[in-house]
Amino acid sequence: MTPGEPLIRWDWLVTHAGEIGLRVGEHLELTVVAVVVGFLVAFLLSLAALRIPRLYAPVTWTAGILYTIPSLALFALLIPYTGLSLLTAEIGLVSYTLLILIRNIVAGVRGVPAEVRDAARGMGYTDRQILWRVEIPLALAVIFAGIRVATITTIGLVTVTALIGQGGMGYFILLGIQLFFSTALVVGALGSVVLAVVADGALVLAQRALTPWTRAG
Amino acid sequence: MTERSGATVELRGVTKHYGDTVAVDHLSLTAPAGRISVLIGPSGCGKTTSLRMVNRLIEPTSGEILIDGQNVLGEDPTQLRRRIGYVIQQVGLFPHRTIGENVATVPQLLGWPAARIRARVDELLALIGFDPARMRDRYPAQLSGGERQRVGVARAMAAEPPLMLMDEPFGAVDPIVRERLQNEFLQLQRAQGITVIFVTHDIDEAIKLGDRIAIMRAGKLVQFAPPAELLAHPADDFVARFVGSDRGLKRLALLTVGGAELDPPVDPTGLNGAPVLSPAMSLRDALAQMLASETQVGIVRDGDRYLGVLTLAHIGRLLRTEDQR
Repeated sequence: MTPGEPLIRWDWLVTHAGEIGLRVGEHLELTVVAVVVGFLVAFLLSLAALRIPRLYAPVTWTAGILYTIPSLALFALLIPYTGLSLLTAEIGLVSYTLLILIRNIVAGVRGVPAEVRDAARGMGYTDRQILWRVEIPLALAVIFAGIRVATITTIGLVTVTALIGQGGMGYFILLGIQLFFSTALVVGALGSVVLAVVADGALVLAQRALTPWTRAG
Repeated sequence: MTERSGATVELRGVTKHYGDTVAVDHLSLTAPAGRISVLIGPSGCGKTTSLRMVNRLIEPTSGEILIDGQNVLGEDPTQLRRRIGYVIQQVGLFPHRTIGENVATVPQLLGWPAARIRARVDELLALIGFDPARMRDRYPAQLSGGERQRVGVARAMAAEPPLMLMDEPFGAVDPIVRERLQNEFLQLQRAQGITVIFVTHDIDEAIKLGDRIAIMRAGKLVQFAPPAELLAHPADDFVARFVGSDRGLKRLALLTVGGAELDPPVDPTGLNGAPVLSPAMSLRDALAQMLASETQVGIVRDGDRYLGVLTLAHIGRLLRTEDQR
């Protein structure tokens, strides 16, 4: 870092406000796409594992192995096939969401009390109605816990995707490192943390709105 | 409320195997329309399995189950279940739905118009002693155990089923609440004329609620009879032990003072301290009062009318004549 340089040059923030906004947008977009696609994939795999219980172990093993590959290594592995692209970034990000999402969706549905399921069946709900009207709504609290962890993890990981040219707050971190410029570094790192905190708060509010019964009693 | 009659349920040689284990073995019985038939027996006797075969939550290995003459095994199970009320011990209310939405479950599945569902929900909530406006929008977590159990019964009755299956519905509440729920349920059942098949392991509950009691053991039906007959003439030692060594007292609970012979009225001043009994009182309660008094007899009065004197000998004679019937 250049001697005499302050940690944050506020004038830089002002002159670069437009670019900061752009990178925040990129960061959010990368995150939302990863979590949404990850959720859809995890949901389908969870339904399969719930219907055919012996699928659960191999599905979670696979997701677990994906989860343990370091992100840089995963990107490096993918670049020969998909290049320095958005696709490369999203394949990596999505694969990191799967383990937590599958675990929580399956645990949430399995955690529905047996008597509630029995009553639903006994009153003439079909299997599909039991899934959508009873099991999924009651699993929402646990599913949301998974979405929160997946979202926060993804927001952190998105900073790495700047290395393959996908922008986001990681762009500022790289810039800061390359130029020994602390302001950009702080903007990138702190910005990512602030995004995570805000996203988590928004998810908590969404969960409250969707599960009013959890606050009754 | 429209007057309607319950369905007749007939089990013919119903059998359920789990691998080599026989859970229910050639069970045949007819649950009469508009009556409560109780299935009772020790754990593992097959009573719950039998109940759950009626709405096909469990598929029989062999045998036939007829509701009003129609074999349920030829029907679509979900359609069948929507016509049959179902209440279980743990209630199984939907925690994510309000009380009103819970009660509306089956009418909604059947596609009733919204206005009819709303009216029916309020009617049922009132019927179980709730103020609809106050309770409708609450969640099950906001209710006591007894209240939840009431809602469970209302939910099962919502679509006016001709038949209700109840699996130890009052088993999880304390004795005082249980007694109140039993009384309320009896009134509802009598008023609506619903056929009920009721599983319990509590012989007192069976005697109180049952029009007929089926005692099961190891998957087999041992005796199927009205409570008074079961107590007077247990089919074998197993039934006798099951109904309890106090079955004489239990029988007295089913008989009233009015049914006993009395000594002609004597000057009641000579019977100082004798309890005054009414003809509608159960003989069990009468006996308890008589035993506690010095005279060991009771003065029977119907309002102002002095009918006579009840003695221990009369009670014994009544039990013996009932025995010979």
